[in-house]
Amino acid sequence: MLQNLTLILPEMILFLGAMGLLMIGAFSKGDSTRTVNLGAIAILALAAATAGSFANNAQATAFNGAFVMDSFAALMKVLTFVATGIAIIMSQGYMRLEKLARFEYPVLLLLAAAGMGMMISANDLIALYMGIELQSLALYVVAAINRDSLRSTEAGLKYFVLGALSSGMLLYGASLIYGFSGSTNFVEIAAAFQPQDGILPMAQVLGLVFLLAGLAFKISAVPFHMWTPDVYEGAPTSVTAFFASAPKLAGMAIFLRIMMTGFENALVAWQQIIILLAILSMVLGAFAAIGQQNIKRLMAYSSIGHMGFALVGFAAASAAGVSSVILYMTLYVVMTLGTFACILSMRQDSGPVERISDLAGLSQTRPFMAFCLAVMMFSLAGIPPMAGFFGKLFVFRAAIDAGLYSLSIIGVLASVVGAFYYLRIVKVMYLDAPADEVNEPMPRELSILAGVMTAFTLLFFVYPSPLVELADKAGAVLMQDGMVATDMLQEHLAGH
Amino acid sequence: MHDLLDSYYPILIFMGLSAVITAALLLVPALVAPSNPDPEKNAPYECGFEAFDDARMKFDVKFYLVAILFIIFDLEVAFLFPWAVAFGDVGLFGFWSMMFFLAVLTVGFAYEWRKGALDWD
Amino acid sequence: MDSVFFDTYIWPALIVTAHSLAIILALLVSLAFFMLADRKIWAAAQLRKGPTMVGPFGLLQSFADILKYLLKEVIIPTTANKPVFILAPFVTMFLALSGWAVIPVSEGWAVADINVGILYIFAISSLGVYGVIMGGWASNSKYPFLGALRSAAQMVSYEVSIGLVIITVLLCVGSLNLTDIVLAQETVWFAVPLFPMFVVFFISALAETNRPPFDLPEDESALVAGFMTEYSSTLYVVFMIGELANIVLMCAMCTILFLGGWLPPVDIAPFNWVPGVVWFILKMGLMFFMFAMTKVIVPRYRYDQLMRLGWKVFLPLSLGWVVLTAGFLQYFGMAS
Repeated sequence: MLQNLTLILPEMILFLGAMGLLMIGAFSKGDSTRTVNLGAIAILALAAATAGSFANNAQATAFNGAFVMDSFAALMKVLTFVATGIAIIMSQGYMRLEKLARFEYPVLLLLAAAGMGMMISANDLIALYMGIELQSLALYVVAAINRDSLRSTEAGLKYFVLGALSSGMLLYGASLIYGFSGSTNFVEIAAAFQPQDGILPMAQVLGLVFLLAGLAFKISAVPFHMWTPDVYEGAPTSVTAFFASAPKLAGMAIFLRIMMTGFENALVAWQQIIILLAILSMVLGAFAAIGQQNIKRLMAYSSIGHMGFALVGFAAASAAGVSSVILYMTLYVVMTLGTFACILSMRQDSGPVERISDLAGLSQTRPFMAFCLAVMMFSLAGIPPMAGFFGKLFVFRAAIDAGLYSLSIIGVLASVVGAFYYLRIVKVMYLDAPADEVNEPMPRELSILAGVMTAFTLLFFVYPSPLVELADKAGAVLMQDGMVATDMLQEHLAGH
Repeated sequence: MHDLLDSYYPILIFMGLSAVITAALLLVPALVAPSNPDPEKNAPYECGFEAFDDARMKFDVKFYLVAILFIIFDLEVAFLFPWAVAFGDVGLFGFWSMMFFLAVLTVGFAYEWRKGALDWD
Repeated sequence: MDSVFFDTYIWPALIVTAHSLAIILALLVSLAFFMLADRKIWAAAQLRKGPTMVGPFGLLQSFADILKYLLKEVIIPTTANKPVFILAPFVTMFLALSGWAVIPVSEGWAVADINVGILYIFAISSLGVYGVIMGGWASNSKYPFLGALRSAAQMVSYEVSIGLVIITVLLCVGSLNLTDIVLAQETVWFAVPLFPMFVVFFISALAETNRPPFDLPEDESALVAGFMTEYSSTLYVVFMIGELANIVLMCAMCTILFLGGWLPPVDIAPFNWVPGVVWFILKMGLMFFMFAMTKVIVPRYRYDQLMRLGWKVFLPLSLGWVVLTAGFLQYFGMAS
């Protein structure tokens, strides 16, 4: 029992913290948003530190194998919690200026983070579903946190309806999988999902496809991306910043874990699907973003495209592939948060602005912000020597090593197309004449954050090995875990 | 299985009988009661006025809120049922687990209270 | 072969049918007298005599009323949704009668002594709200609609505390079987140790059955007759019988959960000669008397007061009592 509680300590901290902050918010007289915000950040930091302390431990399971903690989970949790914390820091000024400052917001983000922690550590379909729902329910609400805005409520409702649909698909797939394997535990599912003569039985494929569809929705991979542009555009910008970072990380983490442990033997069945998702996402992300005038909508397509690139490494289904996905997601989160730190600073006298043309001549009016945003755009486009380039390099190398040549070529082409719209923003900032209205100065916390992210992105190539090693180690755990499952399977067969 | 059915089929018979008796009562007027309708008599009642507009109008969102709160707490009660029946078997661990669950719900309840969701003004 | 089939299936079914019929008929006849008792008590409190004309002391008044209703024209508003309009009273009465299938009037007298009896009653009484909502909605008229909304909100609000009260009793019993619940009270009736819960249950039962002082859905000064405004003739009677049967069912529930069911107050000579069923009916009568007296004495609540009482007083109180009871039983090792 004690071990169970030890392993879920990060989630417990988040959960109890959320409860405590909710009570502080509800019972304090006057506005408690600031206190609750600070408390939430402290709790996230504590949870991240606790999760980080598991980084070097051997894999351990809790609650009859439903919950697993290993260095992969530890790394992903640290990243997720930190990203959530940064999202809260970035939201403070924006929410105050937009009169959206409510103490419920950080509490909901804490609960979402607890859900994401559950997801990352899920080793069982029920635990997976519980984590996804805990995360999603909080996200639906924060998408609509600007109750008086038609667009925000529409975003929340749209997200909720489509999210419910995808949960339904996921559950349907999970029930089929449970029906055909007799267990909800990933390790035992792996034993049951065995291709015969290179083909997985049709019914099992059906369950797998439904599950994949549900998970693809959560990371907004094409063709399950429909909600992304509308939700990103409609939700308040600080909420969008959060949506684009932590949930994507957690979604990708559980996607990796379930495919690499639960369906490691069924590779023949899911590899093609992942390849298809990757191609569609990269291509749509590249082409649909070209015509966008709204920078939040553009970032939505950009994130769809980046999910596609991450899936390229995923499709390789090798240790190198897994670690490249981890690395890619890490860099993606840094770049996204850096970009959103700049987008959140886009504010003129009339209020916040979201059009790309509002950035015209930014290099003359706000050179620091223009520089940060330019670095982020170069990095997102994958231009060396920015961090984004290395992310792409690793995923494509993994794909080529796995023999997925055409996939890599399509990916490279898509990234060339994508570079066009990223560089257009740089062009608007540096080559266009400034508009009449001048952007307000960057708020202090945002400029610090943007500066740190920019420095990281710029200087990543100098000393990349610690992060790469971390990703490698985490990825190796996932693949080893697969070996564990294979061994178990052989024992199982020998027993019969 | 047979025992289970044995204890439940009387309920089916009982329900059938109550349905038959109720239905019979509802059928009686068709046989014995007079029937001479006219439009005024069959109009919906609205204190002697002609009905203004559709009766299925918008209503206070509070009712909706009460329904949602009810679902939460009724679900809580549904969780409590098996726990209460097996209270002697679940031991100290079961006791504290449920206390924790109730504490979490109480936090939500306190929040609702403070937010005024329970006020009916 | 045939005789085996007859012995194992037909014969028991016939016995059960006869048993059920006896209970339902006895219930329906007693409802007539409960109705009369309600009116008589009300009259007595106001220094009137109440019905006196039909039969000795007006004993047959309810039968005369029912007969009169049966002979009246059924009026269904043209705008109403006819099938649902007719179904609503059916649902109410059907459910109210069905609840009686598991009530042990005396030891072993229940038609079906199932192991989840209390859950069955709880479920059936929860469904009761459907009759009201269907009636109010199908009428397609403003007063019934508002009455149905109010009634639904009120019934669900108090159902939560009823559920928690039942949990408290279950903690002390450890079984969902109604007979077990009664037998667990051989030493002391639960009304004594769980007195606050007894009060909560009684008041919640008033609200659950739309009885005064919580008869807001039928608040004649504001909503005419609430969800029953458009009902007439037999449909109205069926609604009324259903409501009354629900009230008596709640009295029976009180008796079983808190007043020791068919058990005599003290298990000594003159008392335990009396058959259990007599005790049961006496206790039920006492509860009904309390229902009737409440109607006489207490003025009607305002709707906001009603909701406040349900959510802000009863819910925390009953939840707290669940925790207290569980903690007490756990601490003193009395968990069963």
